[in-house]
Amino acid sequence: MKKAKITIQGMHCASCASNIEKSLKKVSGVKNANVSLMMKKGYVECDNSVSDEDLKKAVERAGYRAVSIEKE
Amino acid sequence: MEHEHHDMHKMKHEMKEHEMDEHHHETPVEDEEIRDWKKKMVGAWLFAIPIAVLMFSQRILQINIISEFTYTILFVLLGLPVLFVFGWSTIRGGMRGLFTFYFNMDSLIALGTLVAYFTGLFSLLFPIQDYSGVAAMIMAFFVTGKYVEALARGRASQEIKKLLELGAKKARILKGNKETEVDISEINIGDILIVKPGEKIPTDGIVIKGESSVDESMVTGESLPVEKKKGSNVIGATINQDGILYIKATKIGKDTFLAHIIKLVEEAQSEKVPIQVLADKITSIFVPTILVLALLTFGGWFYFSSNLSRAIAASVSVLVIACPCALGLATPTALMVGSGMGAKRGILIRKGEAIQTMREIKIIVFDKTGTITKGKPEVTNINSSVKENYLLEIAASLEKLSEHPIAKAIVEKAKLKRYREVKNFKTLRGRGVEGKVGKSDVVIGNRTLMNEKKISFKDFNNTIEKFESEGRTTMIVAENGKVIGVIAVADALKDDSVLAVASLNKQGYETIMITGDNEKTAKAIAKEAGISEVIANVLPEDKAKKVEELQKKAMVAFVGDGINDAPALKQSNVGIAMGTGTDIAIESGDIVLARGSLEGVVQAINLSKATFKKIKQNLFWAFAYNTIAIPLAVAGLLHPIVAEIAMALSSITVVTNANLLRRKKI
Repeated sequence: MKKAKITIQGMHCASCASNIEKSLKKVSGVKNANVSLMMKKGYVECDNSVSDEDLKKAVERAGYRAVSIEKE
Repeated sequence: MEHEHHDMHKMKHEMKEHEMDEHHHETPVEDEEIRDWKKKMVGAWLFAIPIAVLMFSQRILQINIISEFTYTILFVLLGLPVLFVFGWSTIRGGMRGLFTFYFNMDSLIALGTLVAYFTGLFSLLFPIQDYSGVAAMIMAFFVTGKYVEALARGRASQEIKKLLELGAKKARILKGNKETEVDISEINIGDILIVKPGEKIPTDGIVIKGESSVDESMVTGESLPVEKKKGSNVIGATINQDGILYIKATKIGKDTFLAHIIKLVEEAQSEKVPIQVLADKITSIFVPTILVLALLTFGGWFYFSSNLSRAIAASVSVLVIACPCALGLATPTALMVGSGMGAKRGILIRKGEAIQTMREIKIIVFDKTGTITKGKPEVTNINSSVKENYLLEIAASLEKLSEHPIAKAIVEKAKLKRYREVKNFKTLRGRGVEGKVGKSDVVIGNRTLMNEKKISFKDFNNTIEKFESEGRTTMIVAENGKVIGVIAVADALKDDSVLAVASLNKQGYETIMITGDNEKTAKAIAKEAGISEVIANVLPEDKAKKVEELQKKAMVAFVGDGINDAPALKQSNVGIAMGTGTDIAIESGDIVLARGSLEGVVQAINLSKATFKKIKQNLFWAFAYNTIAIPLAVAGLLHPIVAEIAMALSSITVVTNANLLRRKKI
């Protein structure tokens, strides 16, 4: 289990945040995802098997850009 | 080998730099967004204003110097850059959403403006009303709304942004006898830092030389300067006021107090408040629902009125008036303003849910030691038959050799410059101490010890009983077999405990104190603090159970120190964890107070209530707006441009209303 913080670019409305949340939750191994429109950040709890690339792709699939991913 | 070492060093350095850099990114992203919308807005209006003038002269003034055909050509040409240059990111994002089924607000605007725009081209061939000018106006208003909204959102996060930029940038390191100025990221644990008056303390550390007062308000919310001397802990980002301090760095980078606070505040922004669940559900199906509704509106209008143009206008109105933003922004903006206001005062809201639950709290349980009291015994009364100074001098000289907290309190009180010589010092476990101070035989201890030594204390008996009934531990001091005075020691109340409890009682809360002390001592302290109910003789591990019992009666908030009281904090409906000044209990507690003062509890309660009220207000407006505006648009009662303006105003209103929370005094 690990936590990741994703800085996301391109969000500007509430559906954006909800879209990214949905897309992140679809990644297998992701337990929980919370996206904050205000902080422009996504907070993800996921298995260690999930790579940064997986998360990045999920953000891009919803039409946004993951600028950076930090892990804890 | 040396090369490798160099590389490692460089890498380490770079990594550190990266860590520190992370916080500097935040502001530019936001500012960039505002600048970006501004550029689009200015550009869009450059073309939209001529369109507006033309529309006005054509439709309202009915000036027909140029033909209908020329008007349309002008609208289409002028509208082109508005939609496909300045509105391009919106159109592109929206269309992408339509194809990938990740619908967002852009999908609505893109569809609405494109449909309207193409009526212009079609009108050149078929008898249909030209809405291409309208399309450009909608886009211009849309980017304007986004710009204003981004500005307001930026304001909502201003306190949090300040917090992110609070840390010092430079530090002065002392190496040997040389001072060198370095970047904050170059500090290592153990480095000696010099902080001059007026400068920021670079990182968490311990004072090794110098005395000064330090302004900690920006981090803990403590309004009075805090005195620092050798051995004091200092917090990074606080401001040294009058003396030069030499500090040994104890924590750096992500481990500092400030970094912890920032992390708490940041993470709290993605917290959900239960009341927003419905709004979130609606947001997530909002756009597809509106798309369907727009289709139905078009079909309905076309079927019943057989007027293609009216059907198009009504469905475009539906597309552009509907905006999930007011709903989606209602909670997070209010939460952000609220938590920013809190952070400024050392109140950190960790769980969004606490804001909602706080309203229903009826009982507030306080832990005693370290929460209501200072958690450190102090001398409160002295009664002596000799000069007080003499009594303290003798007592402190002897107690200096003891490690007991009561002994420390006496030494602290006496504040002697020179201690008398002590011989034959002996600790008598659970009873007191004895020894030869100068030429006198001195015994300090409780009644048991005096009885043991056959020393009569009947002259002081009344005083001792009085002190004990007030919950104070009383030490008897005897010199050469004769009692010369008594010293009462107690864990004194924090300065603002009485005021804070009084204010909570006045607000109608049932206040209860919980402690491991005996009933008598506990009652005395509670009475002093203004708390009428006491749960005494409770083992630390049973506190959670007592909270559970109280919860059968009503919702309970627990205020405690976060380390020993973690289970009780978890058990309670709202756990308020008190910081101790330099450490912060992050894991337990729904609300964390950076500063160990009860005033913070009152503020935290007021802030939570005010924030929740704002959230409710915002959600109400957002729901009301959508339930009124959408049917009006379906009914064809709103011109598409008016619909767009209404939409922009709805989200601006919500964000602005959240910003108004700052006016509330807490």
